Amino acid sequence: MFFLYQYAYSLDMGHSTSQFFDEVLTYRSGVKKELANIHDLAWDVVDKELLSLCKLRVAMILGCDEEVASAKQYLNPSKADAIAQWSSSNIFTEVEKSCLRFTEEFIIDVSSIPDASAVAVREHLDEDGFVTFVNALLVVEQRIRLLLVWSKLVGNRGT
Amino acid sequence: MRTQRVESSSFNALFREALSRWQEEVVKLDLVDSITTEMVRLRCAEHHDCHT
Repeated sequence: MFFLYQYAYSLDMGHSTSQFFDEVLTYRSGVKKELANIHDLAWDVVDKELLSLCKLRVAMILGCDEEVASAKQYLNPSKADAIAQWSSSNIFTEVEKSCLRFTEEFIIDVSSIPDASAVAVREHLDEDGFVTFVNALLVVEQRIRLLLVWSKLVGNRGT
Repeated sequence: MRTQRVESSSFNALFREALSRWQEEVVKLDLVDSITTEMVRLRCAEHHDCHT
């Protein structure tokens, strides 16, 4: 983790998450480039509003305030405000509910996701869409976890 | 092992290839020793029920 500390004192607290990764991974250009690439692609291959809802839920559960704010800016404020009550709310569609259920289970215990939750997402997105969604969710989750852990190592960024 | 949920793991080719490149770059990192890396990899694979 030495490379993280090399940038501990040069990070601008106002930088975006992307800039944060660019700076932390300065000496790991291959990882930096591919992380940015898969993150960009994740948003290209999954409906942006749907993935934003799931990202918001991930960030809330993991306690990443910066990414909560980031996700909210692309969402309907009513949905963003009601997301913790998605299961009993009537403003979320069935596909959104199935993806939010899967997302919560994915974040809390990926090894215990019930078949019913996976089947529900697959039925809404079709098989390829389901696999794409899970991989995009993995990218979003990993990036937020990296942000949280690396932020603790190099300094507080409001997370 | 859980019920098989998809017939194949194929999905968006561009995204799949990009994920492979990302994993290849991560594997190239050498700041963690190989034994620790393998222990973590096996633990993660078991937790994710991944047989690859």
